[in-house]
Amino acid sequence: MADVIPIGRGQYRVIDGTRQRTAYAAGPPEARWVFLDGRVYVIDVRSGTDVARTGPAGTREGGRTPDEDLALSAPMPATVAAINVAPGQLVEPGDLLIVLEAMKMELPVRAPRAGRVKAVACRPGELVQPGIPLVELE
Amino acid sequence: MFRSILIANRGEIAVRVIRACRELGIESIAVYSDADDRALHVALADRAVRIGPAPAAQSYLSGEAILQAARETGAEAIHPGYGFLAESHAFAASCAGAGLAFIGPPSGVIARMGSKTAARALAEQAGVPVVPGATPSDQRDETIAAAACRLGFPVVVKPSEGGGGIGMKTVPEEASLLPAIAQARREAAAAFGDGTLYVERLIDRPRHVEIQVVGDHHGRIVHLFERECSLQRRHQKIVEEAPSPAVTPALRARMGGAAVALARAAGYRNCGTVEFLLDGSGDEARFYFLEMNTRLQVEHPVTEQTTGVDLVRTQIVVAAGGPLPWTQDELRQRGHAIEVRVYAEDPERHDLPQAGPLLLYREPSMPGVRVDGGVAEGGDVSVHYDPLVAKLIAWGDTRDLARRRALAALRSYPILGVRTNGPFLIALLEHPRFIAGQLDTGLVEAERPVLLAGLAGAPPPEAVAVARHASVDAAAHDPNGPAVIDPWTLLRGWRG
Repeated sequence: MADVIPIGRGQYRVIDGTRQRTAYAAGPPEARWVFLDGRVYVIDVRSGTDVARTGPAGTREGGRTPDEDLALSAPMPATVAAINVAPGQLVEPGDLLIVLEAMKMELPVRAPRAGRVKAVACRPGELVQPGIPLVELE
Repeated sequence: MFRSILIANRGEIAVRVIRACRELGIESIAVYSDADDRALHVALADRAVRIGPAPAAQSYLSGEAILQAARETGAEAIHPGYGFLAESHAFAASCAGAGLAFIGPPSGVIARMGSKTAARALAEQAGVPVVPGATPSDQRDETIAAAACRLGFPVVVKPSEGGGGIGMKTVPEEASLLPAIAQARREAAAAFGDGTLYVERLIDRPRHVEIQVVGDHHGRIVHLFERECSLQRRHQKIVEEAPSPAVTPALRARMGGAAVALARAAGYRNCGTVEFLLDGSGDEARFYFLEMNTRLQVEHPVTEQTTGVDLVRTQIVVAAGGPLPWTQDELRQRGHAIEVRVYAEDPERHDLPQAGPLLLYREPSMPGVRVDGGVAEGGDVSVHYDPLVAKLIAWGDTRDLARRRALAALRSYPILGVRTNGPFLIALLEHPRFIAGQLDTGLVEAERPVLLAGLAGAPPPEAVAVARHASVDAAAHDPNGPAVIDPWTLLRGWRG
């Protein structure tokens, strides 16, 4: 197993026999960012897993998430540019529900499954935070 | 020469202009929104003026707020950078009206070259090749079909008032032409309220090659050779280089000559870029005028590194009425430069922009490497603006040396707290097609699965060990705070 020696603020030497590499780390234990060999990992210190890939923030786009709340929320802080649905409306998978805007880009929020819109939890122009569902489906 | 210049921009380009001002002994005046009061460009400038709240429309895009700041500070000139107001002819005109030098071309030139149709007409007039195409005045389906047949297949049928690819149809052969015209017309009418169609020959998998030009107020216009900008995602460049692996000396001379002819026809002053689509490579390649960018380009450093010319300094000298210090024959390209754009975005999530704190940010420093950055450790990438963090430029005697230097630098460039495309850029620079110089504008999308495959995978045990070690080490610090004390943070309130 490699030895890790701190050599400066946030900077570490990883020593494995005569092999040495420089690594960097910062952030809280539940999501510690590590840079090693040009790659970046966000690691939960207790489990040793990459939270960006396996944790709650690791949702990948394309409706593959089992967690509907995440599919229906902003992926990053964003402004609500348009709301395309109203309560009671029936939607099909992939239907455009909300258009968000952040960093000069439009970010669509699409229906992860078929269903009826129960509620819309945002207003046009509102700044919304990630992880909070913007539309409720039933 | 100007005594002071107000920089109507933020981020790395504002920092770049501030540095040029400092060299020339010119007072630099930064402007900033509420989201940027701790930004690097504000800390580095000689003076700084708040111009409004975070949204760009009320700050960096507000010509009125910027002119007000210029009046308050007695600025003599305004450098617009790129983006924001850089290509606003109205803003350039207001600067002139307020007695300020606008560091860019005249307002009328910006307006003319900003109109796709006017620019295309001027290019044709100047003898610069344009992509063969037509908007038939008789808009019946049969007439459009006949125009398409004259161009030769494949063709693209698209709304004449349009954009964003809406209603755009690629037609491989005559048999599928009429249905495509009908569908394009329906979509054009629905989207733009105007069913007028334009047909154009399809240039299959072109390269994007552009020519840097610069003109002074004494009638001299020169070009500073080409930049290859074929590697794009979502129509945005991510890797640029000079020279282009596809351009031969004879082709370079033809393209450079065409760009200068167009600039001359436009009455161009200051720095500008003529963008071309390149079909094929070598002496026989054909090139077609795409558009002219009437400002400094993001990728200007690859030209600077291969010509030894400081383009920002040149912009300032020319705007102050000075002559260009070199003739065309005195300009030379030497070696090779590659720029990669480091964006706060997640390549594994469709390049979704990322915002957040820069917990740790250390720019690499090594031979043949330049970093034009706009951030510092302890700062953040704001949700309000473009997610460009920095540009890393590597140069060397050969293309492969420049490539290897860029790779070594990216592997020594930790950015923690915000996900960036750094690992994706490493994969791109290692891709066999990049190594071979076989570039086209579709490469990044076509090879995306291959490029992403290298990014997947659980963290190696060494990375986990570092994470756990850091846990002990960081216990004394605020776990949510930056890993180190940042000098700019300490400067907070220094203006007060």
